[in-house]
Amino acid sequence: METTIFHVFRNTPLGREILMQSLYFCKQSGTSIVIYIPEHTKFLMYYENDVVQVDLDQSYLTDPATAMDHARALTDEAGLQPRFIEPKNFTASTLPDLPVDFDFMCCPRSISDLSTKISLGHIGPKVRRIINSARFPVLMPSLLFKEWKSIIVFFGGSVNAVKALKLGLRLSRISGKPLDMFTHDHRNPKEYFENILQENLLEDAVEENVRQWYFFDNGKFEHKLYNVSHNALAVLGAYGHGLVKDMLFGSKMELIQATLSNSLLIAGPCYVSPRE
Amino acid sequence: MKKFIFWRYPGRIPFFRMDDRLLLIFIGVIVGICSGLAAIVLNRSLIFLLDGFHHMRHLWWAFLLPAAGAMLSSIFLEKIMNEGAGHGVPEVIYSVSRYGGLLRLRSSISRLVSSCLTIGSGGSAGPEAPVVMSGAAIGSNIAKFFFLNDRQRVTLVGCGAAGAIASIFNAPLTGMIFTMEIILGEWSMVNIIPIAVASVAGAEVSRILQGNSIAFESSTSFNIGYIDLLACLGLAVTASLASLLLTRALRRMHKISPRVRVPLWARAAIGGCAVGLLGFAVPEVLGEGYHSIHAMIQGSFPAGLGIAAIACLAKILATSLTLGWGGSGGIFAPCLVIGSFAGLAYHRLLAFAFPSVMWVNEGCFALLGMAGMMSGILQAPLTGIFLILEITGSYEVMLSLIIVSAISTTITHYFEPASFYLKDLTERGQLLRPGTDSRVLADMSIREVIEKDCIPVHPGMLLRDFLHTVTISTRNYFPVEDKETGHFLGMIRFDHIRPYLFNTVMYDTVFVEQIMDTDMEVVHFDDDLFDVLQIMDAKHCFSLPVVSNNRFAGMVSKATLLDKYRDELNVQTSQL
Repeated sequence: METTIFHVFRNTPLGREILMQSLYFCKQSGTSIVIYIPEHTKFLMYYENDVVQVDLDQSYLTDPATAMDHARALTDEAGLQPRFIEPKNFTASTLPDLPVDFDFMCCPRSISDLSTKISLGHIGPKVRRIINSARFPVLMPSLLFKEWKSIIVFFGGSVNAVKALKLGLRLSRISGKPLDMFTHDHRNPKEYFENILQENLLEDAVEENVRQWYFFDNGKFEHKLYNVSHNALAVLGAYGHGLVKDMLFGSKMELIQATLSNSLLIAGPCYVSPRE
Repeated sequence: MKKFIFWRYPGRIPFFRMDDRLLLIFIGVIVGICSGLAAIVLNRSLIFLLDGFHHMRHLWWAFLLPAAGAMLSSIFLEKIMNEGAGHGVPEVIYSVSRYGGLLRLRSSISRLVSSCLTIGSGGSAGPEAPVVMSGAAIGSNIAKFFFLNDRQRVTLVGCGAAGAIASIFNAPLTGMIFTMEIILGEWSMVNIIPIAVASVAGAEVSRILQGNSIAFESSTSFNIGYIDLLACLGLAVTASLASLLLTRALRRMHKISPRVRVPLWARAAIGGCAVGLLGFAVPEVLGEGYHSIHAMIQGSFPAGLGIAAIACLAKILATSLTLGWGGSGGIFAPCLVIGSFAGLAYHRLLAFAFPSVMWVNEGCFALLGMAGMMSGILQAPLTGIFLILEITGSYEVMLSLIIVSAISTTITHYFEPASFYLKDLTERGQLLRPGTDSRVLADMSIREVIEKDCIPVHPGMLLRDFLHTVTISTRNYFPVEDKETGHFLGMIRFDHIRPYLFNTVMYDTVFVEQIMDTDMEVVHFDDDLFDVLQIMDAKHCFSLPVVSNNRFAGMVSKATLLDKYRDELNVQTSQL
């Protein structure tokens, strides 16, 4: 099954790094790339039960005359053939609607703020909304291009974590990269998580494909993140517990993105795992 | 916590599972109340601002007030809310027809504040379209909160619009009819009941908080004679001319204003400034203009044919300057004011030309003019008729209202085939009413109709091997792919091999690459099926290959498309 990743190109050095991450992801996962070079600072994405207006940082409109050439040069270098999309529908004359029927989307940690503000621990509200509403996982690359040599799935036992694990298994199978798992839980023993895997018919797949399961039942979660390889793609579920619980107890995803500088692949609550 | 989550899925509650109309009625009441409250907030804010600025109108710098209001409104919309100018009704219709009524939460307050600034400072615009936008966005977001499906969401968007109109005019019937005729464009039983209930809820909120009063009640009753009925024909022509003039003036201003290379807020200020200056000469053009309508219906508007005619033209100019240059607001109220001026001027012209005839009170022609103008510009005669009936309480003029509205709609439609709200959408091909060809096709995608049972062949394959592939295939089309890269190179149709079929010598001498069609039209996953069908018609073919990332993904055929088309049409029309 052909998969596509959607990328909004920013014609700046930071945008180049992010596009290179997308292209590397494409090469590893056999995904084709769809690139949008914005002409307006905002666009709408109509999801199944939400509409997200993305207000881009002005740097996305930098030197529009060279944007296409720059993007094409990078895709040529990667040996990929991109498809550039132009919006067909407009909610208002300067407010295009972009399609949402992709398999992945690449978003920097913030899409609306100046690139100087983008750093660890800061995810923009638009990126959060996209993760929350999209049926596809969001690739949140690190700020500098870095090839990932393995994949690590953060598995906390929730429904979203199971979806993330399936995504990690699929990526590992396609890319041939080794897969690791990471679990940190004070309350439940490892058997509890093994039961979840069994319930979801993932026991055998994990047995066969997972190189190492980092299981921690003590210490602080943030401290244990040091065990994550610096060149691993981190796959995780997000916002699976709902807004209230996240507000009360905090979100693991927020903690991970604030601590880990690796590229992240985040599956939101609306993410639908494709049928194999 | 679990109880809270359960209530966010009310469709699962056994009582509502009996019939989802019960659920829509229940939530429709909530939406109607909320949108009614939004309308009252705007109404009260406008009264506050207009009264506050009233004592400054005689000052020399008062012309700067509409400029400041339009400028602040533009800054608020562009910089704070990140939305474009305009009244928002086309946006609601667009969202209903293409995205199941999904609207941004910010739209529920953005137009309220911006139109309040524009109109409250003296700009010539109306608050009705902004409250429609606001009510619709409230309905959409409540539907979103309760995880309702597209059809239910569209109904709640309609409930919001109906509640808002019902509340601002204290006119529940108009709210319902406006929604069905303009916003939804369909009269389905599934929608009518929740929308009617929301409309009543909106009107009741208004009655509780503002009193049950008729907006433009006449102190006298109008006795319309045969001669007046005859004169209604001319009034309909006058009203349709006025609506054509307003439509074109607005469009002209929309085209002229971008030529002035200044920021949007400065452009809005220029338009506001011009309105302010115009207001020195004709004060009736400032604000929503409801005081003038009161005066005209009561028959107390200053005498003189010229005054009425000039006021009519000035209001058209002021409205196009306000809205065409970046101010925020709707055209409902200006239409009512311009229509009543047109009716008044027409009555005075008749009285001047035929002084011996006993014409009905000029207030009657003013309200008939309003109906003609509304029907002409919105091309929604029922909305025009019921609005005027409800806001004036003059049920004795029903017959004349129908005549004026029907003729005005017909004449305007001849010159402007799409109404003011729908023109842009129609020109962009984005007006997709339920059950229409374009809507059915827009609701389907290539992914739904693609057929993936084609067997790929390679360019180096001999005809003999290819014929073997043909025998095991159920299709007439065979994609040719590069053996190494898998890239799509072309297609072979069964027709291509017909000349060689009975010449067995050719079986081992002809290769697939020699007979394949490399110049074939291809389509992509994100192409619209409407465009795909056009390509098929233009190229006289029944199937097209779908190519993605240089790889063959499948075929789209007219036969499968027709099957899916019928299914989709059945789904859409079964709701009517």
